[in-house]
Amino acid sequence: MSGVVALEQASDLAAFGAKAVSLGQAMRDGLPVPPGFALSGGFVDAVAAGDDAAIAELLREVAPLAGPLAVRSSAIDEDGAAASFAGQHQTLLNVPSVGELAEALREIWWSANSDAAITYRKKVGLFSRPSVGVVVQKLLAPDTAGVLFTRNPISGADERVIEASWGLGEAVVAGLVIPDHICLSRQGQVLERQAGYKTVAIRPVAGGGTVEEELPAELVERFCLDESQLEALNRLAGRCEEVFGPGRDLEWAFERGTLHLLQCRAITTAGS
Amino acid sequence: MRGAPIDVLERVPLFHDLDRDEIAQIALLFKERDFEAGETIIQEGSGGAAFYVIEAGEASVQIQGRPHSILRQGDFFGEIALIDEGPRMATITASSRLDCWGLTYWDFRPLVEANGVIGWKLLQRMALMLRDARASNNTAAGASPQT
Repeated sequence: MSGVVALEQASDLAAFGAKAVSLGQAMRDGLPVPPGFALSGGFVDAVAAGDDAAIAELLREVAPLAGPLAVRSSAIDEDGAAASFAGQHQTLLNVPSVGELAEALREIWWSANSDAAITYRKKVGLFSRPSVGVVVQKLLAPDTAGVLFTRNPISGADERVIEASWGLGEAVVAGLVIPDHICLSRQGQVLERQAGYKTVAIRPVAGGGTVEEELPAELVERFCLDESQLEALNRLAGRCEEVFGPGRDLEWAFERGTLHLLQCRAITTAGS
Repeated sequence: MRGAPIDVLERVPLFHDLDRDEIAQIALLFKERDFEAGETIIQEGSGGAAFYVIEAGEASVQIQGRPHSILRQGDFFGEIALIDEGPRMATITASSRLDCWGLTYWDFRPLVEANGVIGWKLLQRMALMLRDARASNNTAAGASPQT
């Protein structure tokens, strides 16, 4: 088996990790996942070690994506074990081109072997060799992005919970803003809607990386999703539940009006 | 190119007793890792699984919040974590951009378990370094702390 496969071919959890396999499944079922590649843990290890053949294969196979790229970790034991490694391993947004991928993979490999990650692993009773797969996708430049829980992760109520802000979804995930908060019924009716306080957006910058951009005053408390986008998100939630079952935690983004699914995993917070 | 340059590792006191072939075996297990100035590389008390050799740049060492020493090209740190799985014994921060080669516990242990000659030489060298460290009461400027 190759260590590099198109994302829609990623199905081996032990090789590619939970994130890659769930995105691969989503693609096979027609969900709107941006195209990309899955790299196995062994392959990432070889690239991080400076293996010339692996690096040449990486450059050759991933070349069609060009750049800029989103490079996300997909820990092999991430969602299958009792512990969640969410946040322990690095994600690199806006890697300028395929030429910088080997260095990005080395950074991600070391993030899984960092003292912080090892301390966490010991805390949850896992002192074992980390293995980290990687998902490489074309980076989106979203107008709006965020998270969606297909049922309320706190109360367990049968309602969609959406948190959204301007720009890349990392502003929501990292807690940099108070996002817009919307609850929808399964039928798409708005049950609750609270405008957030969104002072910054994370945007890609030329040359690589991202920047926190201060938002103009008129956007800070303006809702960043309209009715048609809420309908699209509710449809996406329903489709994800059809494919993966109930209780899903999605990351999504709208880029120039098109909705993309960036991650779909089981809800792991209280109430699940 | 896979692994650390042998001439970098030959300057590491921990490996002084190893011959070139033995160092070459270990060199293959190292991975490059760079740090930005100001980045905390290891934190006293935290878990750790990697040992680092400095190829270029400087790092400062603090023990219990007090400045201890400066590490430079050829110096190394984190060696205790390669063996005992215990907490870090110092905090090390990059003073400048720091180019390192890192070796993890997971890569090192199988080599030592499979090669008793290398293991014994490293053990002897570490015992010698422990004696030296005790003799200087860990206060000599420039001495590498045990981390």
